[in-house]
Amino acid sequence: METVISPILLYAMVALGGLGVLMAMPRDRVNLALPGFALGAIAGGVVLAALGVRLAQTGLSVNLYFYIFSFIALAAALRVITHPKPVYSALYFILTILATSGLFLILSAEFMAFALIIIYAGAILITYLFVIMLATQAPVQQLSEAEPVYERVAREPVVATLTGFILLAVLTTEFGQGVGTLSSGGTPDSDRILAQLPLRIERALHEEHLLGSGEGILPNEALARSVNGDGSPGPYLIDPDARTAVVQVQTEGGARRTVAWPADLELTNTESVGWELIKEHPGAIEMAGVILLMAMLGAVVLARKQMQIDEDAKRDQALGMNPPAANGEGA
Amino acid sequence: MLVLAQSGFPEVMGGLTLYHYLMVSAVMFCLGLIGFVTRRNLIVMFLCTEMMFQASGIALVAFSRFYLETTGQVFVIFVLTVAAAEAAMALALVVLLFRRHETLDGSVWSVLKG
Repeated sequence: METVISPILLYAMVALGGLGVLMAMPRDRVNLALPGFALGAIAGGVVLAALGVRLAQTGLSVNLYFYIFSFIALAAALRVITHPKPVYSALYFILTILATSGLFLILSAEFMAFALIIIYAGAILITYLFVIMLATQAPVQQLSEAEPVYERVAREPVVATLTGFILLAVLTTEFGQGVGTLSSGGTPDSDRILAQLPLRIERALHEEHLLGSGEGILPNEALARSVNGDGSPGPYLIDPDARTAVVQVQTEGGARRTVAWPADLELTNTESVGWELIKEHPGAIEMAGVILLMAMLGAVVLARKQMQIDEDAKRDQALGMNPPAANGEGA
Repeated sequence: MLVLAQSGFPEVMGGLTLYHYLMVSAVMFCLGLIGFVTRRNLIVMFLCTEMMFQASGIALVAFSRFYLETTGQVFVIFVLTVAAAEAAMALALVVLLFRRHETLDGSVWSVLKG
């Protein structure tokens, strides 16, 4: 199979990006962050540009949104791991999440995109921010240097960066072998899933004014059986191959006719994800619920420890029995 | 009417390959890995694990698009579940450790090494 980018260019850019990340790491004495970011941006930009050029050579259109979103996501990710203040790291991570959900939108995975924003940016990251605010030392004496030394100096930056970017080089080499274009169009069995959602079809037919006010898709098994003996197509008379449905005109006492689905009726992403989730993985949902319950119990048990002492100390402080400084000495 | 997915966007996204997404996913994963090793703040270390989760999520959604299957997206839902559970446990642990030693430095806890 052909490779997408020439390996020489890829390795050079991976090395350059590694150097950039290494320089961008927080350090004690010299601050090389800005040239590090520049190097990282150049490396990422060259790889993205090479991808775009390669696509343009093969005659495919270049999707600008992908490049914008991925550049934002990776730049913010680099900032997450290099920013000395944890609050800013969390905020940059939110930016990464927003850009990633943009990437998901391009992949037409809208449900995941918005779930990512709601769950990650809305819930998990807010929890992180709360804990960062709770568990940060009050600046006592050194007002000039707010961050303690373990924030300002990275641990083993050279070895870590080397390991990470060797892994990256290996991974990207493997990925480059034989890559297909992402096809457009919905899931192939979209019509078949839709055939099992009769109310969805009926609503679409009503929206297109293909059904009168009193008409509906044949509602139950008995009626279906009365139409074709053994009731073989199922309780609803819907044919996914021909994209038609048999509807009953209720006002005229059981007259039936066959209508075609609207041409643009397709399963939306949310519907197909929900269908897959409920139909194929019901056990996994239960297990996910148990995992969440266990995590909640564990968090409660862990966080309850030493609660009593803290409460006593706080009550003493709040009542003004002894000021905080004296309290510290007494303890 | 806003049509995002099935009829509107495939035209726009014509020129993308799986490689694009796997590339972004790999870079983000490696950045998360490097961050986990180099940062010493416990909270940022856990933030970096979340970033690795998210990188795997990008790859899963891209594969789900590539094979026109929704299974990959369903997996991302479970990855989100595990990430949420991990965040709850990790943050409870961080709060507990902070009460003991008044610091977020992970290397203070090197006594936990076997």
